[in-house]
Formats: sequence, structure tokens, C-alpha cells
Amino acid sequence: MDALLMQHLLNWLVLGSIYTLIALGFSLLFGVLNVIHFSHGDVAMVGPFIALAIVQAVTAMAMPLGASAALLVAILAAMAAIGLLGVLLDWLVIRRFRTSPAMMALVATVALGTVIREMIRTLYPQGSNPKPFPAIATGVIQIGDVVIPVFSLIVIGVSVAMVAALFALISHTPVGVRIRAVAEDLSIARLMAVRPDRIFAVTFFIASAVGAIGAVFFVSHAGVVRFDFGIQLGLIGFSAAVIGGLGSMNGAILGSLLIAGVDVLVQVLVPDGASYRLVFIFMLTILVLVFKPSGMLGKPVFEKV
Amino acid sequence: MSQTGIQVEAPVERSGTSLDASIVVAVELGSAVLLGAFLLSEQTAIVVLLLAVMGAIFGLLQWRPAFEERIVAAFHDQQQLAIALGAVIVMVYPFFMQGSSYALHLLIVAQLYAVLALALNFQLGSANIPNFATGASYGIGAYTSALLAINFGVSFWLTLPVAAVVATIFGFLLGFPSMRTKDSYLALVTIAFGIVVHQLLNNFSWTGGANGLVGIPAPSLFGHSFTRPIEVLGFRLPSQANFYYLSAALVGLSIIAARRLHNSRVGLAWNALRADPLAARCQGIDIVWYKMLAFGVDAFLAAFAGTIYAFYVSYISPDNFTFLVSVTIMTMVIVGGMDNTLGVIIGAFLLTMLPEKLRIFSDYRLLFVGVVVILFLILRPQGLFPQRARNYGAHR
Repeated sequence: MDALLMQHLLNWLVLGSIYTLIALGFSLLFGVLNVIHFSHGDVAMVGPFIALAIVQAVTAMAMPLGASAALLVAILAAMAAIGLLGVLLDWLVIRRFRTSPAMMALVATVALGTVIREMIRTLYPQGSNPKPFPAIATGVIQIGDVVIPVFSLIVIGVSVAMVAALFALISHTPVGVRIRAVAEDLSIARLMAVRPDRIFAVTFFIASAVGAIGAVFFVSHAGVVRFDFGIQLGLIGFSAAVIGGLGSMNGAILGSLLIAGVDVLVQVLVPDGASYRLVFIFMLTILVLVFKPSGMLGKPVFEKV
Repeated sequence: MSQTGIQVEAPVERSGTSLDASIVVAVELGSAVLLGAFLLSEQTAIVVLLLAVMGAIFGLLQWRPAFEERIVAAFHDQQQLAIALGAVIVMVYPFFMQGSSYALHLLIVAQLYAVLALALNFQLGSANIPNFATGASYGIGAYTSALLAINFGVSFWLTLPVAAVVATIFGFLLGFPSMRTKDSYLALVTIAFGIVVHQLLNNFSWTGGANGLVGIPAPSLFGHSFTRPIEVLGFRLPSQANFYYLSAALVGLSIIAARRLHNSRVGLAWNALRADPLAARCQGIDIVWYKMLAFGVDAFLAAFAGTIYAFYVSYISPDNFTFLVSVTIMTMVIVGGMDNTLGVIIGAFLLTMLPEKLRIFSDYRLLFVGVVVILFLILRPQGLFPQRARNYGAHR
């Protein structure tokens, strides 16, 4: 029983880490740009495809690289590429909706998500078929009768490291100060000689690159990658960010852990839980928002006349 | 005429009346012909050419707003003529479709989407309440009526109101959280609701699961089954024509509802809500009630469309009512022009027919539509027909 409980706990942490990596992007982008980047999940999901292409290219060229080394290189390259893709999409599309009503930006980014998904489907070789994604790590560590997959440890470790790095970046570096300044008040930041456009680009790079790792972990966890995985992952990440409180990084983590917790609990406790997991996740989302209308850690908005 | 010596005394009120009338006739007939040509054209080149013509017309209107003003004024002055002519065009339209059941099918789907877009327009356009769950209300309506018809043999005409009431109850339920949440948070609540509905339909065994419901019986009216072709005066219309008239009637009903609501206290309250919820509250407007009412009205109309859809295709599955359907409806409202009844209908027609007619792009269809939507939002964010200021009495 203990071993089983441990397994579920581990599963919860893995899913929570993956959702966190996505949710952080939503929260960061909303905090800084005040725009909901609904296609964030789809952008992130391009990452695994790039990584897959690089792995295949490396194996095809028979480079003297081990399988895991090749995968590592591929993932790092995919991160950088997705970061740049995020910046590019901001420059092409999203920056034009910064001052328009929130619904316009939402609809535009939903359409952008469709465009990204369709581009993967039509332009990637056999893009509409699911593709097996290589496991990042296969080994297991056995302690007593508890079996811990190395992959789980990597996911949790990397996520914790990423979150720590992100917090350090935001709170202790000059770039972080500027990001916070822009998030706080755009016009005052501009008066303080901060160039908002650069900060937007940096934010997009960070959010998208972090999201790409989340997506790579997600597909590695699932074992396959499909062009339309992004929409579900994006929706869950968005929900996590919102119930945590948009713009709050702590909230994004809390929301992700909560959603992952429900996800695992439903799969364990509810008969046929796997098919009802989305129902429970989104019911939870509605419930949280009914009782906490601006998320758990979001600042309540007071209207002044 | 003058040679005969008979002078017909036209009741000329102002010098522009006959010009107004000709503008109305020209615009309506022109649009009808353009739409017909677009529907019936088989060749890619013609489709693209017609699209270019449409684009040029909108470009002209954008470039010279005076034209638009003139047309609007003409329609305002000749309202009765415009409505009568419009009704006649809608009635005789199927006779010009050369018996093409595909064109009629497109028209039916476009009309159902027009109803859905009008339903959403009460919320998004009039009151600026985001709702990504219109697709879910559409689905609830479709499933309610289909289940009633299949399991209990209830007639189509009876399921119509029942489905609407059921969907409205769900609409009010969905409106419940809107008391406290707003903007992006409310958007997420509606998205979540839509996904929950879709997932439940997908998993319950009594809704047929992912396979959906099959064999929904066709409705009949005065002994005329809707699966049979219509035969009038030697003309023979494909069986789709039945549903064409049915959905056209629903569109008409929705337009009347939209106008009546727009001109009532309710519409005014919604507009006040859009302008500033706080100020509206200070004016003594019960914003919670009006928000919930917007959700209810949206669900009510959407359920009508859902019922007709279910009986028309006689097969429904959860995938007809996904989140992306809701997004499509939302896009129609935004592209057409928020809070503009005509604009919303045109948005619905355009976005239904464009992907269908672009079959030449086959695989790249959705990609193309996505790009068009984004470009549209960037280039003309106010929509094809921007929302107009309320007009009290005096014209021009």
C-alpha cells in the first residue's frame, strides 16, 4: 500500500511539475503583457516536434553521440527555437492586440493556436499521425518495494530548478527588475528608461522556452506526440494559472499542483476515472472561480468610482 | 409611360425616396446574386474572383464611409420595402439553386450558425460578456431533443421548446458564476463549462458516448415528411429545402428577437453593462440579473439551432459541439461586427462558406481560415459592420 501511495504521490508531482512549466508561462505573460496568450500550449507543443526532428537528424547522420546525449542536445535546441518562435509570434501577431479589448486578444490567439497546429499537421512529415517520442530516461531506482523511475526524478528536479532559476531571475537580476517594472506600470517603466518592447521579447522568450520543456516532458510521459496535444495541455496550464491567480507565479505553481492532484485522485479513486479526468479538472476550475473570483492568490480587484 | 396620359401619383415625401428604394433593391439583389454565384460556382478561379469582388466592396466601404452611411440611411427610410424584399428573396432563393442539395446544405448550416452567432451577440456584442460555451448550449439543445425523439418518440415540434427550456436552465446555471467573476476569469469558466459538457456527452453511455446518437427521426408538418422533396407549381426542390425554410424561419425569429430586445429596456441595460458595469450598477441596474439573462437568452436560441441541426443531419456526436465550435461562433460575431445584427449574420455566412468553398486548399483549409481571422482582427478589428449608435427617431 505504501509503495502504491508513493507511486501516486510521485505521479502527482510529475504531472504538477509539467503543468507548472506551462502555467508559469501563462501567468508571466499575463502579468507582463496583460494579454492572454491562448496559443501558449500550442507554441510549446512545437518543441517536441523540433526535438524529434533533431534526434532523427542526428541518428541519420550517425554522429558519435549517445542516444541520451543526442536527446539532450535536441531538447536544448528545441527550447531555444521555441523561445525565438514565441518572440516571433509576439512580433508578428500578439503585440498588435496589446491595447485592444481582452476578448479580441483571446480570439486572435485561439486562431493563432489553430494556425500553429495546422502548420505542424501539414508541414511536418506525416504530421497528422501520432509519433512515438523517445523516453528521456528509462532506468528505475528501487528503494525497498518503492520503484522510482529516473524520468520522474528528472522531471521534478528540472522543474524545481527551472522554477528556482525563474524566481531568481525575476527577483535578483536587472532584467527581472525591468520585467517587474513593466508588469507594475508600463508608462512609469518607460519613464525609468526601460524599453518595454525588449522586455516583452525577453518575457516571451522565457515563457515559451520554459513551456517547451513542459511540453517535452509531457509527451515523454505520454510516450507519443501528436499535433493537437497542445490545445489540451494549454487549456490545463491556463486553468492552473487562472485558478492560482493570473500574474502570480506562486499561484501558477499552486494551481498546477491542485489540478494535478485532482487529476491523479480521479484516476485512482473514480471508476473509469481516466475518461472523466477532464470533467473533474474543469469542474474544479469552475468551483475555485465561483468562490475565489480572481484565483487563489490573485489580487482581488476593487472597483473605484 | 407619359404618352398614355395616365399619371401615377407616387406618394413622394422627399426627393430621395425613389433613390432610396433603388439603393435598397440594388443592394439586396446584388448580395443575393453574389451569394448565389458563390454557392454554385464549381471552379476555383470563380470562387477566388468572387471573394476578390467581396473584398473590393468592403475595401470601398472602408475607404469611403459615406457610401456606407448612404446605404444605411436608405435602408432606414425604406425599412418596409427592405424587409418585404428580403423575405421574398429568402422564400424564392431555393428555386435558383438549380436543385443543388449541396448549396442548400451550406445555406442551412450557415443559417444555423447565424442563429448561434445572433444568440452569442446578445452577450458578447450587447453586454460584452465573454461566453465560450455557446457550442455547449447548442449541444445540450441537440442532445435533449434527439434523446426525447429517439427514446420517447416525442415529435420534433414538441422537442423544440423542451430543448430550449433545458438549455436555458443550463445557461442560467452557467450564468451563476458570472455574478462574481469577470473578463478572462469568466471566459475560463465558460470554457471549462463547455469542456465539461463535451466530456460528459463523450462518456455517458445514455448519450451514446463518442459514437453519438444515430437515427433521429425526421420531423413532419401537416403530413409532409421533411425527408421528401418539396413540389410546388411543377418545381421540385430537394428535401433539404424543408430544413432551409425551417432554419430561415428561425433566423427571422432570431432577428425579430434581437431587434425587440435591442430596443427594450433589457437591451439598454445590456449596453449600459458593456459601457461600464459599475456605472450601470450605480444607475440601479441589477447587473447580476441582466448578466444571467444574457446567458439564458444565448442558451435558449442556441438550443433551437441545436434541435434543428440534430433533426436535419439525424446523427449527432459530441465532436459537433466542441470548444472550437464555440470559438468559431465567437469569431463570427467579432468578424461580422459586435452588436450589429446584419453584420453578425454576414459573419456567420462568410465563416461557414469560406472553409467549404476552399476545398481546393483541402489540407490547408483550417490554416487558411486561421490566418484570415488573425489578419481580419488586425486590419479591421471593429468587424465588417461596426456597431452603430442608437438611433432615436430622427434619421440622418
